[in-house]
Amino acid sequence: MPELPELNPVIHGKLRLALLSLLTGVEEAEFTWLRLKTGSTDGNLGAQLLKLEEAGYVAVEKKFVQRKPQTLYRMTEAGRQALTDYVQALKQLLGAAIDA
Amino acid sequence: MTENMEGLELKDRLNLIENMIAEGRRGTESWGWAFVFWGVAYYIAIAWSSGGFGGPTWSRNYLAWPVTMIGGVVLSWILAARKSRKQPATTIGRSIGSVWAGMGISTFPIMFALGFSGRMDTHTAVAIIGAMLGAANMTSSIILKWKMQFACGVVWLTTGAASCFLSENQAGILFLVAIFFCQIVFGIYGMIADSRKQKVNGTGQGVSHA
Repeated sequence: MPELPELNPVIHGKLRLALLSLLTGVEEAEFTWLRLKTGSTDGNLGAQLLKLEEAGYVAVEKKFVQRKPQTLYRMTEAGRQALTDYVQALKQLLGAAIDA
Repeated sequence: MTENMEGLELKDRLNLIENMIAEGRRGTESWGWAFVFWGVAYYIAIAWSSGGFGGPTWSRNYLAWPVTMIGGVVLSWILAARKSRKQPATTIGRSIGSVWAGMGISTFPIMFALGFSGRMDTHTAVAIIGAMLGAANMTSSIILKWKMQFACGVVWLTTGAASCFLSENQAGILFLVAIFFCQIVFGIYGMIADSRKQKVNGTGQGVSHA
């Protein structure tokens, strides 16, 4: 019986998974847009984005637009690869769950 | 039972990924207002150029198209910039933006040259505008996989081609009808579809915990 893959714990968190999935469809996204789409609180969203940043899955850019601070998040190549691997692992596990 | 629950949990994760990817892409597709805006701008230019407005300023018919179109570009640029500040950039959004910017940049010099050289007539104007709007709508519809917009592209191309065979009055009427259906009606339909989508999707989708 083939060994089942393990799910990446950094991505497995529901909010972190949602954030990475959102970022795959856009070039870059503002903090406020991610908050709107996920319905998360500022604190929780900031903490989960920091975990993704520390893992190297998202890159952060802070700048000022019309004197207002703007934080932009962009998915990195490592993040894209990690999400692809996660989906592959998920499909394998689902296949195993259906077979069982 | 546990295996079944694990399977459901895994499926839930896959659904979440699909929904969020779709949600991210959907963000920039709300451009219905631009169609309505330009439809109204065309109507203003047509009414002004045909002497539909009174007063000393409005009697300068030769200014109708240049002033309305330049004003339209400036206003839609401002509105689009304000709107895009709230939306993230996507590859699809940039592709569609390029199609419409390319259409505008190509059309303006030709129309101005025809106007200033005195060679502009209804047939030529409708043929050029119909062809350009038809091409832009069809390209955009292929990117978005939007049949309704493809139909608008076909209507514009047909209008442009038909204007070559019709009388000046008939070509003008056909142009007004095409504007009504492909700009005003289609734009309002797009705006309604966007607001429905936002209501259905709501925000959050239950992903607020880690």
